[in-house]
Amino acid sequence: MTQEKPIKPDKILKELSEIWSSMAKPDDTQAGDTSAQGGGVLRACAMTLISFVDDEEDSQSLNETLAGLMKEHPSRSVVVRLREGEDFLDARVFAQCWMPFGHRRQICCEQIEITSSMNRLADVAAIVGPLAVPDLPRVILLRSARIVRAGALRKILPLGDKIIVDSNRAGAPCFGELGGLLDAGHITGDLAWTRITGLRALLAGLLDNGIPGSINIEYSGREAGPEARYMEAWLESALPATKVGLKGSGGDGRGGISGIAVDEDLRIRLNDGGAEYDMHGMHQRASMSKCTDEELLNVELGIVIHDPVFEQALNRITA
Amino acid sequence: MSPETSLQDPLRFHRKSPPCAVVIYGANGDLTKRKLMPALYRLAYEGRLAPGFAVIGISRTAMSNDEFRERMHDSVKKFLEDSPFDEDLWKSFAQGLFYLAGDVADPQSYQALVKTLAEVEDSRKTEDNALFYLSTQPSQYAEIAEGLAAAGLNKGQGWRRIVIEKPFGHDLQSARELQGRLEKCFHENEIYRIDHYLGKETVQNIMAFRFGNGIFEPLWNRTYVDHVQITAAESIGVEGRGAYYQEAGALRDMIQNHLLQVMATVTMEPASSFTSDAVRDERAKLLRAIRIMRPDQVAANAVSGQYGPGRSGSEQVPGFRQEKGVDPESQTNTYAAVTFLVDNWRWAGVPFYIRTGKSLPKRVTEIAIQFRTAPLAMFRKATAGAEALPNVLILRIQPEEGISLNFVSKRPGSGMQLRPVSMDFNYGSSFGERSPSAYETLLLDAIGGDATLYTRQDMVEASWQAVQPILDYWSTQKFDFPNYAAGTWGPQAADEMLARWGHTWRRP
Repeated sequence: MTQEKPIKPDKILKELSEIWSSMAKPDDTQAGDTSAQGGGVLRACAMTLISFVDDEEDSQSLNETLAGLMKEHPSRSVVVRLREGEDFLDARVFAQCWMPFGHRRQICCEQIEITSSMNRLADVAAIVGPLAVPDLPRVILLRSARIVRAGALRKILPLGDKIIVDSNRAGAPCFGELGGLLDAGHITGDLAWTRITGLRALLAGLLDNGIPGSINIEYSGREAGPEARYMEAWLESALPATKVGLKGSGGDGRGGISGIAVDEDLRIRLNDGGAEYDMHGMHQRASMSKCTDEELLNVELGIVIHDPVFEQALNRITA
Repeated sequence: MSPETSLQDPLRFHRKSPPCAVVIYGANGDLTKRKLMPALYRLAYEGRLAPGFAVIGISRTAMSNDEFRERMHDSVKKFLEDSPFDEDLWKSFAQGLFYLAGDVADPQSYQALVKTLAEVEDSRKTEDNALFYLSTQPSQYAEIAEGLAAAGLNKGQGWRRIVIEKPFGHDLQSARELQGRLEKCFHENEIYRIDHYLGKETVQNIMAFRFGNGIFEPLWNRTYVDHVQITAAESIGVEGRGAYYQEAGALRDMIQNHLLQVMATVTMEPASSFTSDAVRDERAKLLRAIRIMRPDQVAANAVSGQYGPGRSGSEQVPGFRQEKGVDPESQTNTYAAVTFLVDNWRWAGVPFYIRTGKSLPKRVTEIAIQFRTAPLAMFRKATAGAEALPNVLILRIQPEEGISLNFVSKRPGSGMQLRPVSMDFNYGSSFGERSPSAYETLLLDAIGGDATLYTRQDMVEASWQAVQPILDYWSTQKFDFPNYAAGTWGPQAADEMLARWGHTWRRP
């Protein structure tokens, strides 16, 4: 049996530094290309993004999402892949680079990947802490169901200033756990809440001139999904005099919002990439984000402070 | 909590814009097709417009609403930048587009507009808010404003605003005359003078850079700044706009408005708050502090140029006088460079060099703030002059928006060899986020009643006052044009102007 090499933050940081040094050197294969020689790479960093994922998660898809985020939120990215089984801990570093269209220089961001067995989670925390970029926000993206199942959520919280979950994912923390995070003062984000931002903004615009008597949130599936629950809680908080209801259309599972009916006057129907409704006798369409993970995370990473509207809605659900 | 605010989420929702009708005069023109309509569509795409939003296009060409919608559809598809085109969204957006054929000189056209606005208000519920956007010849601004007022369109149940594009007059006197006619029709706070440079993301970023950070402002004064160079260079010539350009020239076209506004943004005092009047008061104060040249000072402090035939890259290009529609004996300046001084405590004695020109070697707009050199050259013996290089902070506006700081650093190895290095922050590529176009920003501001990025009449007059002595002096001169070849950095006299101060132009 080979002895496991110790993982030290200093060594990881040195490897990162070496990567930057090597990338700053001109590429021999482009020796004749003076623009490439003079171009080099451009470093940018606005935060440390620490993603906890289960080892089974498709790494290519995750890396594509993280690379997409770097355009708006250039970060030092630390991905912690968690697995069951025997004692295991390993780390590697690499850089993610892309050449923006029409530019001479690549933009590069650092990525550190740590693979660990669950029983080494405490070691992971000891390694990740010193790897965070000083003075910049640290955000945890929690996609690991293992951590939630193991009740280890609180072990990783000290690593970040904000934790982002997606209640729509299998194995995500329940509303009660999220409420507990709020009670403990943690900045929390939920992509299920982010997903309804466009619809909330549309409703806020349409309901500007009066308080409706009733609003019905229609969802597909047998049980209201987190988006429908958040929408209900938000409307109840914002419009205490309005009767807010949830109405399922049947089918399996927890469904997303399919439409919203306001009194007898307004009915918003959601379809691919937009919302449609009739107003003043005219059919209207509002464009909405497709809500990819990348789009949703771009929004959440831009908010590293307490979000009172979200917290009010979450507190209402957990009350 | 009021019903208006209870559903709002300022952290996540975009600023709400009120319902309104935007009435565009010159709706068949280039600006409408290339800039205004793509910007409005993009705002609709982002959900920034109220559901009752409407556009009424006016021009002399006869066409139906549907024909107008069809033309705008093609224009938006063609000129929309960095955004997908959504046909379904267009259908919804296009329901709010209306067209009215009319001549601005015909009083009946304003009566027709009264009727159309009432119909649009009825169908779109615009709350009688109207924004009149004059995308016409500047000579028609006053006439249209008077026509609107005569028809009672300058007042309504909702708000009324009028947007005009530069130039605001062609000299100080005509600017005052224009204002005299406009202010009889609209209040000053209803007149929005657009300077699209101020809507550029990177120009706004100058304020964030200066006033959002604590470390730069203490250096931002005559004690530490040696001089400032503002460059707005175009690599192309007038390219078919010769007839228009011949009447304007570089000083009027760029320096009097865009570049003096940029200079004011770089040099103004911090406003007490980020509100429209507080910011504009500071800009106006700075513009008023620009020293007005005496006629005998103009020759030494302002250089006029015109390009002759030359090479742009590998291509042979004609001179200005060979361009279509240009007088072969034209005295129009296609290049202007001016040394301005600012008479206030912060900037006394610091020269501000502003230059702009057509057919220069590259397209670049930047502000370079050159700091004084270190007071003691302690590494002099071990350097090849690098230590004497001053620190330069460069605010790049286009094409690669960003900020660079040039400083000296020790070369790796034994000994104390210094070399200059550049530390770059590239705004566009450090953040891959799409920046709104200047017109998106400015239209949304006008609809929302925020005039921070719009020019006020006192600013317009202060700018004209700063350049008027130069215009007056140049009008008495016969220049030996052309005095620079296309593809070069302008006339020799511009280099000599800086040399008198012991400075040289940067090569951006």
